[in-house]
Amino acid sequence: MTIKLRSTKAILFLEMLFCLLAFSLLAFKTEYEIDFIALAVGGGLALFNLLTFNLARITFKHIDRFSFLTAQFLWTTGIVTIYRISQKYALKQLLVLLISVSLMFAVIAIFTKAKDFGRWNYAFMALTILLLASTLVLSRAIGGAKNWVDLGFFSLQPSEFAKVLFIMVSAYILSSRNKVRQMWSYILYVALCVVVLLLERDLGAGLLICGTFIIVFFTTTGRVFLTLSGVGVFAGGAYASYKLFSHVQTRVQVWKDPWATYDTDGYQIVQGLMALASGGLFGVGLGRGLPQVIPASHTDYIFTVIGEEFGIIFGIFIIIFYLVFIVRGILIALNAESRYDALLVFGCTAMLSLQSFIIIGGVIKLIPLTGITLPFISYGGSSLLSSLIQLSIIQAVSIKNGRRDEAELLEMGGRIQ
Amino acid sequence: MNKKLKRNMKLAMSIFVALFVILIGYLGYSVLVYGRKWMATPYNPRLKNAISTMDGGSIYDRNGVKLVWTVDGKRYYHMEANIRRSCSHIIGDIYGKTVGAETMFADYIYGMNKSVFDRIQEVLLGEEGEGSDIALTIDANLSKYIYHNMDGKRGSVVVLNYQTGEILADVSILTFDPSTVNEDELEESSLVNRGTMGRYPPGSIMKIVTASAAIKEHIDLTYECTGECYIDGQRVSCTKAHGVQDLETAFKNSCNTYFANLSVKIGGDRLLAEAERFGFNKSFNFEDIILYSSSFQTSDSTGDVAWAGIGQYTDLITPMHAAMMAGAVANDGVMMEPLLLKSVDGGNNAGFRFGIRTYRRVMDESTAATLKAYMKEVVKSGTGTSAAISGYTVYGKTGTAEYYDENGEIQNHSWFVGFLDKEHPYVVAIIFEGAGFGSAYAAPMAATVFEYLVR
Repeated sequence: MTIKLRSTKAILFLEMLFCLLAFSLLAFKTEYEIDFIALAVGGGLALFNLLTFNLARITFKHIDRFSFLTAQFLWTTGIVTIYRISQKYALKQLLVLLISVSLMFAVIAIFTKAKDFGRWNYAFMALTILLLASTLVLSRAIGGAKNWVDLGFFSLQPSEFAKVLFIMVSAYILSSRNKVRQMWSYILYVALCVVVLLLERDLGAGLLICGTFIIVFFTTTGRVFLTLSGVGVFAGGAYASYKLFSHVQTRVQVWKDPWATYDTDGYQIVQGLMALASGGLFGVGLGRGLPQVIPASHTDYIFTVIGEEFGIIFGIFIIIFYLVFIVRGILIALNAESRYDALLVFGCTAMLSLQSFIIIGGVIKLIPLTGITLPFISYGGSSLLSSLIQLSIIQAVSIKNGRRDEAELLEMGGRIQ
Repeated sequence: MNKKLKRNMKLAMSIFVALFVILIGYLGYSVLVYGRKWMATPYNPRLKNAISTMDGGSIYDRNGVKLVWTVDGKRYYHMEANIRRSCSHIIGDIYGKTVGAETMFADYIYGMNKSVFDRIQEVLLGEEGEGSDIALTIDANLSKYIYHNMDGKRGSVVVLNYQTGEILADVSILTFDPSTVNEDELEESSLVNRGTMGRYPPGSIMKIVTASAAIKEHIDLTYECTGECYIDGQRVSCTKAHGVQDLETAFKNSCNTYFANLSVKIGGDRLLAEAERFGFNKSFNFEDIILYSSSFQTSDSTGDVAWAGIGQYTDLITPMHAAMMAGAVANDGVMMEPLLLKSVDGGNNAGFRFGIRTYRRVMDESTAATLKAYMKEVVKSGTGTSAAISGYTVYGKTGTAEYYDENGEIQNHSWFVGFLDKEHPYVVAIIFEGAGFGSAYAAPMAATVFEYLVR
């Protein structure tokens, strides 16, 4: 299932070319002076991508090259777009990226060695709740949601790490218990997570955890009635929060007709739609759009900036890249040896794709907007690190699969080139 | 790993793929279909940005009259005040006060639609920062002539080519002068384009729809008009007792009691369906103009149905839609989408989105022919005789629409819709607010406009 090295070389080359061209454009944007930092960032990032890909390929023989390159392309697009919006944010994001990708190697190593973290399961459960609840105590509110913890020198978004723990816990429980009645503690745990998130008014993460749970639960147990009741509880909860919270009501109204309140509640979505419309098919060109009028243009709304400056066709390519990611992820899950590994990869894939669907669907007004980050692209260190951990997990299982296949092939007397 | 899990994972994958395909489809669809509307709102900061940084292209009328142009970053307008004032709603302004060609076609005028390839070419040719020139379908001299002849009376005159949908004139009073709109103290509603945004009760011009329903459903009624009748307790009256009427004579005489009874016989549901076929209750999503929707409702009371069928009750229509409606009769039953953009000079846009666009077929050819014969009689010997001009056949329908003014007194809007034969494929819709009978004010104005059109 590995692709030929030659085609990955071509993809890597194109990706580096994109990075260098985009940053050159940014560097020579004004006629008066050349932005040398942009050139350095562009060159550095291209080199970094080249190095990390080859290092990962050599260190771990069986990484999934396709999804690794896709993720690289997405984070490169992210850094380019963030740099265009704000140099300061881009440099911060770049720093987080360098550290996180280095950490990835350790994470991949851990997950290739580990069996299922069964001993740690209850500790993980407790840690998830603790992480989520910590923001209730130590938080400051950002944009209607309380999901940040300020540690003085930098701030963390604990729900991002809780997401990863949630996937691990889910994979363990659903692979080790066969009967639903053995899962009550797990179901309680999911409910608790969602309730805490709702209390923090972090609807995005709540929706994500809830949605991932329903998908993973149905896929493993195949219990239609139970899943439907889960969906029912979810719908009831959504309706209740619609009735209870005014900011949820506002969002639904804005989704129905953002133009009615274009200067107040609908402002963000209207600006996003105008940005997408101005971009047209080919975009207005990097650096020629007007992202400063779009609120949260570097985080949740980054897709509209990409749409405006690179064009709708490029935006569609971004969506296709996520699609590639999903398909690769599920193929790895299908090939996994143990049930735990399969569910781990499936959980990561489901969560990443659900997350990108929720936010892209929100900004293009397909579904009501819930503020979450676009995986790998949006500005935000916690979000990037969390996405990269999920990528590492997918890679780790791919490596395990590869080693097993290789061993089987050797046993049969085959040879690997 | 068991088979069931594998099967479910594959199922989940298919669902995800489907969701993402929907995402791609919706993104493409919404931007291609609604993009122009989203961008052309005066609230778009990109427009203001482009206006302040780019030299906008010129705007011409269909005969090459230069209406707007830019010199040194300042926008200049035609020197004749009557041309400026008669075309002001169609052209719009650069301050975001109205939605006209300046905002609807800003992507061309201010070069916002240029692709990367255009830009590279421009940089090479040293033409950066310039927009394209555009030509509109309007006729500036016709507009000036109409404006002059409206003589300051509040209302709207719309002239379309019914075969192509091209807007030749959309003159609205009260109006404004685009060259000084930012400094002038304007009377209320001066900025409203009555042709596309003014929703008026249609009165008797609605009888086109009612008659069309009757012809299609083969509902025949012979009725003796005594000057008034009562339907479900509501009084419907005519100006005089018309005597025994059939559909043709009732249409010619605009007999209210006949059409009230006919509407009841057709029934609320069928009448509503027919009105919606004509575009009532539909939100028009046209490429070139923003047209407010017209509305038509019925209720359980036959009295309300009767009133709805003669263009009162809660019926509302814009003059542009009224012109489209009469135009459909003239055009063998096919309603055209109004066009405003004639051409774009330069760039890769020529031929991209131009061309005639049909809104829909609203009736079959034989129904249209019958209605056309009725409308001919209206001008020949009915309520619309003052719309006639010598040497040409004129088709039309008058309307007198009642409304309550701010003092609670009944006033009448004067309506006329009509058209000429296909050598001069023009349809007009005229309304004078609170002027009185359609036959007395709007119909003579139509004759004035037709005189110009056949010249």
